[in-house]
Order: sequence, then C-alpha cells, then structure tokens
Amino acid sequence: MTRWNTSTDEVEAVSPDITDETNALPARYFTDPAVHEMEKEKIFGRYWMYAGHANAVTEPGDYFTRTIGDKQVIVVRDHDDEVRVFFNVCAHRGSKMVEDTPMTDPGNMGRIRCPYHLWTYDLDGDLTSTPKSFEEAGLNPDLEDEDVCEFDACDNGLKEVTSDTIGPFVFLNFQDDPMPLEEQAGQLKDDLEALPLGEYEHATRIVSEVECNWKTFAGNYSECDHCQANHQDWITDIELRDSELEVHDYHWILHYTHAEDVEDEMRIHDEHEAQFHYFWPNFTVNMYGTADGYGTYIIDPIDEGRFQLVADYYFRDGEMSEEEKGFVQTSRQLQEEDFELCERQYAGLKSGALAQAQLGPNEHTLHRLHRLAQEAYEA
Amino acid sequence: MSQQQPQQDEAPFVARTLGSGTRKEAADANEVLAFYRRQSRTAGEDVEWTFADHPAVTAAPDEGDLATVVRELDAHFENGVPIGIIAAALSKQGDTIGDTMDAIHDLRMTGGLWEPRDDHLRAF
Repeated sequence: MTRWNTSTDEVEAVSPDITDETNALPARYFTDPAVHEMEKEKIFGRYWMYAGHANAVTEPGDYFTRTIGDKQVIVVRDHDDEVRVFFNVCAHRGSKMVEDTPMTDPGNMGRIRCPYHLWTYDLDGDLTSTPKSFEEAGLNPDLEDEDVCEFDACDNGLKEVTSDTIGPFVFLNFQDDPMPLEEQAGQLKDDLEALPLGEYEHATRIVSEVECNWKTFAGNYSECDHCQANHQDWITDIELRDSELEVHDYHWILHYTHAEDVEDEMRIHDEHEAQFHYFWPNFTVNMYGTADGYGTYIIDPIDEGRFQLVADYYFRDGEMSEEEKGFVQTSRQLQEEDFELCERQYAGLKSGALAQAQLGPNEHTLHRLHRLAQEAYEA
Repeated sequence: MSQQQPQQDEAPFVARTLGSGTRKEAADANEVLAFYRRQSRTAGEDVEWTFADHPAVTAAPDEGDLATVVRELDAHFENGVPIGIIAAALSKQGDTIGDTMDAIHDLRMTGGLWEPRDDHLRAF
C-alpha cells in the first residue's frame, strides 16, 4: 500500500520482503538535505567507489583527480607500474596539491609537489624533500638547528586511499580496513575480468546534470518496466518479455535480449543480448550488444536534488567512426528520455505528498537498491 | 553570446559546454559558474553562454578589459558583481567562462580585484 504524508500513514524501514507493503525507501531519503550529508559518510565513504579507468594512466607519473563528495583524490601510476590513490592533501598543513585534472585529460608528474611550501613526495606517497626552512630553525630563537627533528619519509608521506581493480576499472575505498573489493563485487569481478575491457580505448565523455536525487536515476536504470512506454525507439530491437533481471548482494544485471541476432563483431560479450551491470552504490557498466565497445556511468550526487551523470564510452579506437558516433547519439537519446522521467518523478517526490512508495514485483533490482541504502543508513 | 532573447518559459541564464553541447539553464548566473566548475573538473570542458537575461549584462560595454567591465557592472550590485554576471558580460566580447576565469585569476594575482563575498568581485 502506498503511504501518503497524512496523519494516519506511517513510514517504515524497507522490508526485506518485496511482497510487504513497505518495500520501498521512504520518500524523505530522496529529498532531505541532511540525508545527502549523511550519505557522504555512510555510503560514499564506506563502499567501493569507481575512481577511473587504468588506461588513462599508462605511464609512470600519469595521474588524474577524482572528486567524491567533499573528498578529492589523485589517481597516479607509480614507478613500479602500480596505480595508487592518495588524498589530494599535503601532509604538511593540508593544502590541496594538484589542480583538478579529469580522467579524460590526465597529467604527468615526476613527483607530487605541493605548491604551498614545496613539500615533495615520490609517486609512492613517501615524502622525499622539504625546503631548507624545514631542516633548520634559523628564524626561531628558541631552537637550535640540531634540535630540529628530521621528517620521516613514510610517517610524513601522503595519506593513501585503499584501492583495487576489476579489469581496467580502478576502485577506491575511503575506509581504513574495508571489506575486500572482491567481496563487494562478488561474481561481477569474474564476469568483467573475463572480458577484454582493457583493450578498448576511451572515446568520449559526456557529463550531464540532472535535477533529481541520484537514487532516483539509479532506480530508473535498474528496471525496464518503463521502457515499453518511454523508450519506444530502443525497444523495437529488444524482446522485453525475454529480459532477465539478476540480483546479487551488491550488484545486479539487466539482460535484454535482442529481437534479432546481432553480428558477433558487434558485441564485446558472448551472449546475444544487452547487459547492464549496476554496481552499488553508483557505478554501471553498459554493454549494449549492438556496438563493439562499452560504456560506464558514474552517478555522482551534487546535492539531494541534483546529480551528475558521467558517461564514458570505450571503443576499439579512441577516434570514433561515424557508426560509433551514431551509437553514442542513440545512447544519449535514451539518457535524455530517462532524465525527463526522473525529473518528473522527483518533482512529485519533492511535493511532499508521498511518504513511502510501493514497488512492484518485478522491481526487485530497485528493491535491492533501496535495501542497500537502508542498510547503509542504519550502519 | 547570441543576441537571441529568452522565450517566456526559459530560464534567464542559459549556457552550454563547448565539446558535448550539454545545456545548463539557471535562475542565477553563479549557478552557471558552478556548472562550469563541475564540468571543468569532471570532463575538462569549457562553457559558453547561450544567453543571459539580466539588465546589468544588457548594459555592459561591448568592449573594454576585465577591470573596466567589472567597474561598469558594479553600479548594478550592492556588494560585488557575481562572477557569473561578469562572465556573461564578457561573453559579448566572445569570451567563454573559462576565458573569463583565466582573466580573473590573472587580474586578481596583480591585485586588481577583490572578493567582498564568495564569488562576487569588485575592481580597483
């Protein structure tokens, strides 16, 4: 039963049983600014987050930055060919060190140097040098030079963020001792690593801003009950009734069978279908089944009522063919259709009329999303 | 910036990214500035104005350096000119928001501007 904001209807936590009345996340979790602040810690500070694609940093010293909530990290390939992640914060007095550097336009540096007082770090995060003013006490009459302690390279190094990979996808976790990535990813890790994802080159990134909560779009992505009515161009090639929604602990997969077989060369995977993988909390891998390539989405909240969709497309060659450009345009059409739906839904949610929605029996992927959010809030 | 005037149902400030053409409508010029910063940070994209419906922008000179334009705009605001308005005014000279931000940085570093409140500027 749908619960409205009345004096008699009361909301409850998302039931583990999808057949229960309270099978959806209460509406306030989509619209309350305090929830957005809470999610920074309880969701985006706790689970494995997509940092970027390893192909963007192929040489030692290659780096990019990634901003998640209030935190920004540097993703850098070190001299041992390992991709490492550090807070973009100097160990001296906390200055931001490198400028915003998107994955699509990476930089290269021999060492990481803070521009404030020129503390310099090796690519493994160790402090390698400080200016002479940190080694002598010439300006301090209460200290002799020999009283000055030498900084330890490691203890005064950069704060590393735990990172791991699935194929070419680099993930980070802000917790000091997180659950292993392979535990959160489960079967997704094996599924994705069986594919030659690293052989594909980044072709284009399109960043859209949408006026709704990030979970609104995440929910829309996770079900296709809306497709028949709203993606009419796309579904002409899809057998919606043959679709399958596969739910795991922290990820779910939407399988959409094509009405007609597509040439093997036009798919990255073996199955004659489109596969959309959602990895909690906000990363997707999109294998369309009609293009020799794949896409990824990052669904990054801006605030409780807006998010950025960072859409990246990967093909055999970074220079897109006309056909591939057409494919991206089709993908963009789908996005715009979804944005409109999500913004309409969010306008309704913001009105305050609804207290707790009612999910349908085939929205079990969405139910998983809501359950994971609920669990995160309660943790 | 296009001289096209906004239609009745359109937001007063509209801009788009140079590469992908992503459109941003905003009620406040500094919302467009925030959009530029996010796009720049995430995709390295610059942003150009489509139109800006604000009397200060309309009255802004079609030529002149940044300091001159900020001084002209200053009469329309009580405590500093929103950077978004400055960027919209400079778009009449063909500048993108990225161009404007670079020019602001250069002028600030020589002491030619100050910021009486966040993202609002005045010129000496």
